[in-house]
Amino acid sequence: MTAEPSRPDIVCAAADLTLNVVSASTGYNSALQRVPQIDTNTIPLNARPDFVPSWKPRRIPVRCIGLTLPEGEEFLPSEKAKETSSDGTKVRQIQRSKKSTKEADSDRPKRTRVTPPPGAVSLQDRLFYLLQPPLETWLAGQELIMPFEPFPYQYEGIAWLFARHSALLADEMGLGKTMQTITGIRLLLRAGQVRRILLICPKPLIPNWQREFRLWAEELPVVTIEGSSVRRRMLWTMPGVPILIANYELLTRDLPEIPEDERPSFDLLVLDEAQRIKNRDSRTAQVARSVNRRRSWALTGTPIENRPEELASLFEFMDVVPKRASPDLRQLSRLADEHILRRTKDLVMTDMPPRIDRDAELELTDAQQAAYHTAEKEGIIQLNDLGDAITVQHVFELVLRLKQITNFDPLTGESTKLERLTADMEEIAASGGKAILFSQWTKSLDWLAERLQSFNPLIYHGGVPTKKREPILDQFQHDPNAHLLLMSYGTGAVGLNLQFAGYVFLFDRWWNPAVEDQAINRAHRIGQKSPVIVTRFICAKTIEERIDRVLREKRELFDAILGDGDNNDTSLSLNADEIFGLFDLKARGEDGARSIGPKAA
Amino acid sequence: MPLSSSSEQLHLGFISTLEVDGRGHVGGLLVTSQTGRPLEFQCTTPVKPDRTQEILYGRALRPWLLGELIGSTLLDRVSIKPDLIVVRDEELLELRNHTATPVACMDQAHKSDSTAQTVGSRQLFFHDSHPADADFVESKAHLVPGEADLEEPLDRVHEALTETVKTVLAR
Repeated sequence: MTAEPSRPDIVCAAADLTLNVVSASTGYNSALQRVPQIDTNTIPLNARPDFVPSWKPRRIPVRCIGLTLPEGEEFLPSEKAKETSSDGTKVRQIQRSKKSTKEADSDRPKRTRVTPPPGAVSLQDRLFYLLQPPLETWLAGQELIMPFEPFPYQYEGIAWLFARHSALLADEMGLGKTMQTITGIRLLLRAGQVRRILLICPKPLIPNWQREFRLWAEELPVVTIEGSSVRRRMLWTMPGVPILIANYELLTRDLPEIPEDERPSFDLLVLDEAQRIKNRDSRTAQVARSVNRRRSWALTGTPIENRPEELASLFEFMDVVPKRASPDLRQLSRLADEHILRRTKDLVMTDMPPRIDRDAELELTDAQQAAYHTAEKEGIIQLNDLGDAITVQHVFELVLRLKQITNFDPLTGESTKLERLTADMEEIAASGGKAILFSQWTKSLDWLAERLQSFNPLIYHGGVPTKKREPILDQFQHDPNAHLLLMSYGTGAVGLNLQFAGYVFLFDRWWNPAVEDQAINRAHRIGQKSPVIVTRFICAKTIEERIDRVLREKRELFDAILGDGDNNDTSLSLNADEIFGLFDLKARGEDGARSIGPKAA
Repeated sequence: MPLSSSSEQLHLGFISTLEVDGRGHVGGLLVTSQTGRPLEFQCTTPVKPDRTQEILYGRALRPWLLGELIGSTLLDRVSIKPDLIVVRDEELLELRNHTATPVACMDQAHKSDSTAQTVGSRQLFFHDSHPADADFVESKAHLVPGEADLEEPLDRVHEALTETVKTVLAR
């Protein structure tokens, strides 16, 4: 069955989409149709405009700090000559020293500048040193003509001295301590820092200092303390003398006799060969420390001759340690860094001719051999017989007797050293050379002089009057026939300039390597043009060989302490134990560490 | 070093400045004899322009600061008046506009300057507005030793300024 689908009825209806818009009356349209009313205001165009923020150039206040140096004082306007302080400005004058008060580009030439010392605390003091011209410029000035151009290390030494109140110039012998000191003094005088200087040196060196002052600072008046006690008293206290030179003996004798309130004051006290005061209890050391002074300089090539403690006495003189202070080795090393300037030839004189050391090991002649063995055998027997009564002096006397036999046999006059020396001297004389011979005995020197007449020997030792010494040195330098100078260690080892001699003989050995170095450096020093040949005579299988071994060990210790400060507390002196040890004997009593040694001839 | 035998004196003034980090500039004046011996030294405390001055002075800031402010103050304060002022920095030539003392510069940039004068081992150059300074220096040049290096004292001033700043800053 199928059903018919039905259709739905569709009805249409109309919808009213009309929207009524009603306008409200606001009054705007009528207002827009009105003519505008215009009013005017007058603006004054010639008035200055204001700027905010305003700014005006202002001068920044500049404050100044100033100082007038001593040499500038004479140029000061009189009304400002004294210290002033206004508007934040300070002018401080570095005063000239008063005698009564105590107390540096690859394309440029080398310049050595003065640097402030570690102790200069105030800014003005530091500026004083910093503002000094380079020494090369200063010393090339009109007033400070130098006869020779100093070496760079010498410029450095001069600058170092200039800036120090307490200084120990310990350059190795021959490097020009004298010249550096004189030039340092010269610059201090020029800079107005010192006016009165006292220089103390061993008596034999006074002519040397006088000569060096004439050479390096001819404009400086130098007065030497000499003559009668009345004259010396007058010289000590005479005002207006910039440089006084005296020897140690006169210092010790004269100064204590001057009433304290009349004692002279010095701006600078210089001690040459300052090892003279290594014993702080010695009269010389005490008197040196008592001198009224503001600056203290010490000069020595051997600041330590025997033991490091000797430095303490020098430091006490320099016022860098308290009285009676006993600085330990670490403290000594620190003080040395600050107050000691030491250069060696190896370090600074690379262009200096070499020093050639050669040991001449000699065999005793038959006569010497016999005399030596007899003396040694008898000597040891005598020493043993002394038992507990033996002293180091007994042993020492035996050492001296044996050493003298190695020089020559007193009975026959035979001498292996003389034979060798004669052979060497013939060669030296033939080539026109000059030699210096050192011995500890004036007797040996006189004995040699008699036997070496063909070389026209000259003798220079403590027995030669002071007045005759300079002519002897002069003859040795200028007489072409004088080939040999016989000197004692004590008199000839220090301060003399003998750089025209190319040979040095150590006929016998001194007790201290430092003294031997001093002797050798009379010839091996600045000005030397050729190598210096140093010959040490050592007789084999004798006491000399044993002493040489001890001396070598001492030299190594000496180098260690003054080198990199290897602070070894081993004594450098030949002590009693070592002397006894030369004969396999043991020291008696408690003087085992006592230093012994002869007085220099 | 040969020097004229004349007793005539020539005082030289050397001015140098140093910039201190964050604190401005300090200046120093060293017055020396013609042989370079120091006679008097003056230095300033640090002088620092403010930001406004930096903007408004522009390129003129350094000549104003170094020459007019610092330089003329130093010259005013110093008791021993120099006859000639030597500077290394060209900007310090501005000082010449504020002093009657001749000012000379060793600035390398002036090497072609025809008014240059040789004094000691150095050539000196002058402010364009003051050509007469060259004549003055020419008349006095014989007083300065031939080997004298007029730049060296400026190194001393620099070193002294450095030391002063270091000391002051440490306080």
